[in-house]
Amino acid sequence: MEKDFIIAGFGGQGVLLAGEVLANGFMLDDKNVTWYPSYGAEMRGGTVNCSIAMADEEVSAVQKSDADFIIVLNQASFDKFTSMVKKGGTIIVNTSLAIEKRIRNDINYIFYPITKMAEEKLQNIKMANILSLGILSKVSGLISLETLEKALNNVIPPHRRNLIPKNLEALKLGYEYDLLKV
Amino acid sequence: MATQVFKIPEIYRKNAKYTFCPGCDHGVAVRLVAEVLEEMKCAENTIAVCSIGCSVTLYDFLNLDSLEAPHGRALAEATGVKRAKPDKIVFTYQGDGDFASIGLAESMHAALRGENLTAICINNTTYGMTGGQLGPTTILGQVTTTSPTGRNLEYYGYPIKIAEHIALCDGTAFSARVSLDTVPNIRKAKQAIKKAFEVQAKGLGFGFVEILSTCPTNWRMSPDKAHDRVREEMMPVFKPGVYKDITEG
Amino acid sequence: MAVDCLTDKKVLIKGNYAIANAAVLAGCQCYFGYPITPQSEIGEFMSGKMQELGRAYVSAESELAAINMTIGACATGVKAMSSSSSCAVSLMQEALSYATSDQLPVVLVSVMRGGPGLGNIYPSQGDYFQATKGGGNGDYKLIVLAPSTVQECVDLTYKAFYLAQKYRNPTVLLADGLLGQMMEPVTFKPYPYPEIDNSDWALDGAKERDGRIIRSYAPLADNQCVFLERLYNKYKLIEENETEWEEKDTQGADIVLVSFGSTSRNVKTAAKILRLKGIKAGILRPVTLFPFPSKRLQELSNTVKKFVVVEVNMGQMVYDVKLAVNGKVPVELVHKPVGAPPSPEEIAKRIEELL
Repeated sequence: MEKDFIIAGFGGQGVLLAGEVLANGFMLDDKNVTWYPSYGAEMRGGTVNCSIAMADEEVSAVQKSDADFIIVLNQASFDKFTSMVKKGGTIIVNTSLAIEKRIRNDINYIFYPITKMAEEKLQNIKMANILSLGILSKVSGLISLETLEKALNNVIPPHRRNLIPKNLEALKLGYEYDLLKV
Repeated sequence: MATQVFKIPEIYRKNAKYTFCPGCDHGVAVRLVAEVLEEMKCAENTIAVCSIGCSVTLYDFLNLDSLEAPHGRALAEATGVKRAKPDKIVFTYQGDGDFASIGLAESMHAALRGENLTAICINNTTYGMTGGQLGPTTILGQVTTTSPTGRNLEYYGYPIKIAEHIALCDGTAFSARVSLDTVPNIRKAKQAIKKAFEVQAKGLGFGFVEILSTCPTNWRMSPDKAHDRVREEMMPVFKPGVYKDITEG
Repeated sequence: MAVDCLTDKKVLIKGNYAIANAAVLAGCQCYFGYPITPQSEIGEFMSGKMQELGRAYVSAESELAAINMTIGACATGVKAMSSSSSCAVSLMQEALSYATSDQLPVVLVSVMRGGPGLGNIYPSQGDYFQATKGGGNGDYKLIVLAPSTVQECVDLTYKAFYLAQKYRNPTVLLADGLLGQMMEPVTFKPYPYPEIDNSDWALDGAKERDGRIIRSYAPLADNQCVFLERLYNKYKLIEENETEWEEKDTQGADIVLVSFGSTSRNVKTAAKILRLKGIKAGILRPVTLFPFPSKRLQELSNTVKKFVVVEVNMGQMVYDVKLAVNGKVPVELVHKPVGAPPSPEEIAKRIEELL
């Protein structure tokens, strides 16, 4: 079994980091996993994305042209990646920065104001990326919150340790997205 | 009673015979380097980096561990040697074309980084080994095989004053220009070469000596006339002197 | 994320960082480099790590300088390396030619991007020729190792240092932008190879012996003839001892897919897809590009009906496969000019069209 994920947004929204946390989590679950970024000219502001492939066997293709789960944190990514969700797959859309619109009926849509929640509940819009992973954990059932917590501890560098509690909060908040009133 | 007034330094290879042209100053320059290394008692601890041009034959004469660098890359390779073995004395022996034309970037950056290296550059205003073409130090008006009517500004631009440029680099500890046209000047040249090695040994930075030299073959001159040319044509453009010495005041 | 550790525990790490960390663990004493995407992380990691360990790091003024600094350091007998990418590796060709002639154990990591010229920063295998045929002058060979996973980036970096030392020959780790930028879990085991004694040639000062000369200049034609024969005897030895490849399902195969590096990941899955459709497809992946597994390909050409070479360039390795197969059976090319390799499905589809 292989499951593919894409996380996309503006440069600066932390999509590469979120992808790395997810990939690290799959590694902790003893899965084969690859992480591959769109890399290059864009440092800030441009659209950026990363593909994560998780499998029981060796992962072959690293760059994905479609995925089972796609997280889009802005409108440009929503526009670009909707067509790349596999049939029956799921797209998680940040409605704080993208307009809620269903153009396909063969995929699942999760609309949620991720940035707004991060701002209101965590007083930090930069937590949107990790919050979205919480949602993914719940929606996909492929990775547990506990694993993601461990992964966060692996990925966040020592000099940024102070950010871990807030990130853990973000994960939980995302996981409970469907229980919260927005 | 006979007094010994001249002695071949011990660090010459046995039976080494100069292949330099008669009257070429390379021979004197190599001997001065040999004498300095011998006086400093550091030959056993020295690694030479030879460059492309007539200077490359240094390793045929001096019994030192030697590495031959591609054209212009001597100071890059010397940087590698020194960074790998900081306790060694490392020097380059280069021509002006190698040092200041094709290798100018490597030369300047070694000086800018303040590498603890010594660089000896022979300036004879021409590419000697390839038959006397115009080089970075060819002076205005000089006829060469690639400036048949003389170096003019329209086609060739200006020659480079190497010692002055190297002196401008903050990492340079010592930069001088010397000549080998008279015995007193040969003595001064040796002092400068010694200084350029001493600053390295003390870890003070980049030591550099530009040596004004003859190329009788390509200049089509007798050795005597060639030294006259050094005095009359080269020295007014390339003024001998110490351009930087951080050990002085 | 940069990880610097020696551990049996899996870590998730980018190919570039994996290579750099492996080089440190292999005992690399000196790193010389100049930034270029997509391999800049190697120099970034080294700048901190080498200084922390009291080893040498120089931010060189150019790739010309970087590779020549590497030559200088290698001449003293220490392990030293540089890393770069495509258009900048072009600048290093002269020095690599010298290093083969000087017989110095230079290690160069070449992380391929699109070309020719400045090209682009996306993955490519367009420097197969550059690495295996060389852009420098004269008759020479570089040992070339091609990883296909991040774990292999580690293992083959170790091997690159070992083979370079063992044969006193410049060795290239030929990765690409995909391997450099992707992350995969790896473990860092200790450097597994013996240290090679180089006290009989390294420059360390002529104490109680004659001065050694490391040079490529052979003024007499006869000397150069003798030298080149000796050099090529060494290459023959390398071919006999060090040719490495991965092979799967080739027994009874009708077609064998040949690919190297990151592309071979997708090709393996393509072969599976083809087998599920009843097509007897095997794979062969050269791990060493020089020495190239020509003999094995030649053997397989007795039983296989067709070879298909898959690569991300306009067709380069395909010529070496053709040379090995020597017209016995058809050798076809499935390629993409530049970028991430074609998907396994696309490769399978294009191969089916060829049958």
